[in-house]
Amino acid sequence: MTVLSESAIEYLLAFADDEHLMGQRYTEWIGVAPFLEEDLALASIGQDELGHAAMLYAIVAGDDDSAIDRLALLRDADDYRSSWLVEAEFPGWEHTLVRHWLYDAAEELRWELVSGSTVPGLAAAAERAGREESYHRRHADALVDALLGVPESAERLQNALTEVLPLALGLFEAVDGEAMAISEGVATAPFESRRSLWQARVAARFNGTDLGRLPAPDQDRRRRRSPDFAPLMARMREVYNLDPSAVW
Amino acid sequence: MRTYEVFLKPDGRDEFRHAGSIEAPNDEVALVMARENYARRAEGSRLWLVDRARIVVGDEDFVAPNADKPHRHNDGARVAERRRRLREDGK
Repeated sequence: MTVLSESAIEYLLAFADDEHLMGQRYTEWIGVAPFLEEDLALASIGQDELGHAAMLYAIVAGDDDSAIDRLALLRDADDYRSSWLVEAEFPGWEHTLVRHWLYDAAEELRWELVSGSTVPGLAAAAERAGREESYHRRHADALVDALLGVPESAERLQNALTEVLPLALGLFEAVDGEAMAISEGVATAPFESRRSLWQARVAARFNGTDLGRLPAPDQDRRRRRSPDFAPLMARMREVYNLDPSAVW
Repeated sequence: MRTYEVFLKPDGRDEFRHAGSIEAPNDEVALVMARENYARRAEGSRLWLVDRARIVVGDEDFVAPNADKPHRHNDGARVAERRRRLREDGK
């Protein structure tokens, strides 16, 4: 296993934590999604995101399952580097759909930045994730497209967008080590450098939404957790805590 | 909402087979839903979706009257029996 720098690890954990919590948020819709087909689709997409998280954690921790578990589930809250967008507990499915669209539009750009990474395994992970992500975007876009054509649905989506968008801006916030990680060849450019492209896509999809004046959340370089993090992590640890020594 | 019939083609030379149906407001939503609902575990490598409203239907009244015409079922048994008899008579 290659020894990664602190900066590289910070960078990878921020990505992995986002994927991990995003995947977890999708799984919370199992059994209660608005219709059966979407129930299955969201769960399947969530499983893909959890798979991406597992690939990224494994790059940091190696193939040792208990080391991956420790990274994924057992760090102190302050040591996570997730963005508030994926931590957020939203009340409705429309928020989930809007977050799905916004997150996956950004995730595409994020994987592209590491598609030529010097970190062993990362370029291959990017290639694999890229194939899955094209389906995720198509799924989100098909639903948004259909629902924007129905007045009540369009209004609900627009209201959800107003709540979710500021958090989504925080997705682009870098960890402290990002510049160093880029100089080491972990990624080709800061995630922030892709934000204007993402914003243009958001504006095109959601009809002229103005992202210019929105305040991004105060994440303190991704070191601060939002209030929704603790209850989420408690639920995620529930099964693990039943028997930490269990082997699957 | 529309109802689509979903056909799935496994890898290789197997033909498309009916896998089930799915409801969706349009073709694109039907496709993204069918992919996860019928092919997420690699049950097939290609999908056909057919809007049920576009299927040309021959219903029972139209098709079934042919079921009670046994004279149309020529399994060749009587001819075979006759030929066997002639063969044996000729010995």
